Amino acid sequence: MKAAGWGWSARDLMRWTVLALWLGHGVWVVLGRGTGTALRRSLDLFTGPSQWVSMRWEGWKVARARRISDLAQAQSEIERLRWELEALRVQQAREAPERSEAREATRLLGLKPMVGLDLRAARIVVNNRKAPFSGMVIEPALGPSLLPDQGVIAAEGVVGRIWSASPQQASVLPLDAYNASTGVMLARSRATGVLQGTGPGRAEIRYISSQEVVQVGEAVFTSGLDRVFPRGLLVGHVVQVWTRGSELGVEVGLAAPLDRLHLVFVLPAEPPLEIEPPGQGSAKPDPARSGKR
Amino acid sequence: MRYAPPLIRHSLAATLLLGGIFFTAPWPSLQGVFHAFLVLGLAPQASNLLLAALWAAAGGWILEGTLRLYPVVGGTPWADITLVVLAATLARRWPPDRLWIRWAQLAALTALHALAVHGAVRLACGPHPWGTGWAWALASVPLWGTLIHHFQKRPSWR
Repeated sequence: MKAAGWGWSARDLMRWTVLALWLGHGVWVVLGRGTGTALRRSLDLFTGPSQWVSMRWEGWKVARARRISDLAQAQSEIERLRWELEALRVQQAREAPERSEAREATRLLGLKPMVGLDLRAARIVVNNRKAPFSGMVIEPALGPSLLPDQGVIAAEGVVGRIWSASPQQASVLPLDAYNASTGVMLARSRATGVLQGTGPGRAEIRYISSQEVVQVGEAVFTSGLDRVFPRGLLVGHVVQVWTRGSELGVEVGLAAPLDRLHLVFVLPAEPPLEIEPPGQGSAKPDPARSGKR
Repeated sequence: MRYAPPLIRHSLAATLLLGGIFFTAPWPSLQGVFHAFLVLGLAPQASNLLLAALWAAAGGWILEGTLRLYPVVGGTPWADITLVVLAATLARRWPPDRLWIRWAQLAALTALHALAVHGAVRLACGPHPWGTGWAWALASVPLWGTLIHHFQKRPSWR
């Protein structure tokens, strides 16, 4: 048999090397020497970078998914809050008249014990007093029918008087009507006069002597002499004073916001000249100390 | 026609297959396919027998290193060296000119390779599970056998 291939040429040396490699592996396996730890560690050196890249990649994906989830939640939250805000705005607009009326009722309820009279609440159902020959229409609470010349007041001040009445409704002649006359007095000088309407929210006091000293800003109260209002109810404040022959011209800004009123009190017919302040028996009220009276 | 030198083409392809074995460690079935492809298909096409044995041994060592299954390593590369020598001898003595002949040779070598690896690993570290890598390698012989057939019809090794 020819022994070619297993000599010492370069090709034969290669074959010897393969044989040595095979035998070395065989001996290694038979002796059971390799635990694989060093091999695995060396392979970990190669897998480390790819594992680091993989970790970064997975971390980026998780963070991105979380950001997307958070963004979606935030957007849905914003949308929900937007709807809630819109609903609250609608509700607020719907309840605004009721709240305004409730605030007014609260002020009126505070006024009632201070006046000390049997007041009767009424709701203003029509207010077109700026139109020619018009006024305010009120609807009183249940009770006997109203009578003409009953006084009408609000928490801020005097409103006017009943002009005509029916069992369910009554028309009111406001203080600023041209044909309205009300007995008033000035707070400092105690000079009395007659208040006549001159325009929306304005009125003028007649029959004040030019000898009187009247200051702008001075409070004006009812005098009680017309037997419609008791003495001491706030009417308004002096806004302008001028001399007109033998008398003073005194222009008054009315205290009651006649355009914004919803609830009023109706005074009893022919009230007493003086009203008793709460807790003071028959002592006279001091109008200068009370802004409301 | 200009082609890349066989040694460079062969080395690049073998390196790619080693990378495939390395990075498919989480999927042992796919890893078995790459392993059989390298040891039985590509390594015997090397320019010399020593290079073929080294590529096959490298494939075996990387497989055992990434498999992290055997307490004692070395059985797989030993079986790989054995089978690559056998495959190279077969290719030299009976070069498969037709595709189906190559498929038959590779199928037989794959079965023999599975037995040799199992036996060598059993000798090294005792009983161990067979796994399904050998079945996937056998089933995929038409795929990588065809690739090898078109890669180099005749081995340049003598």
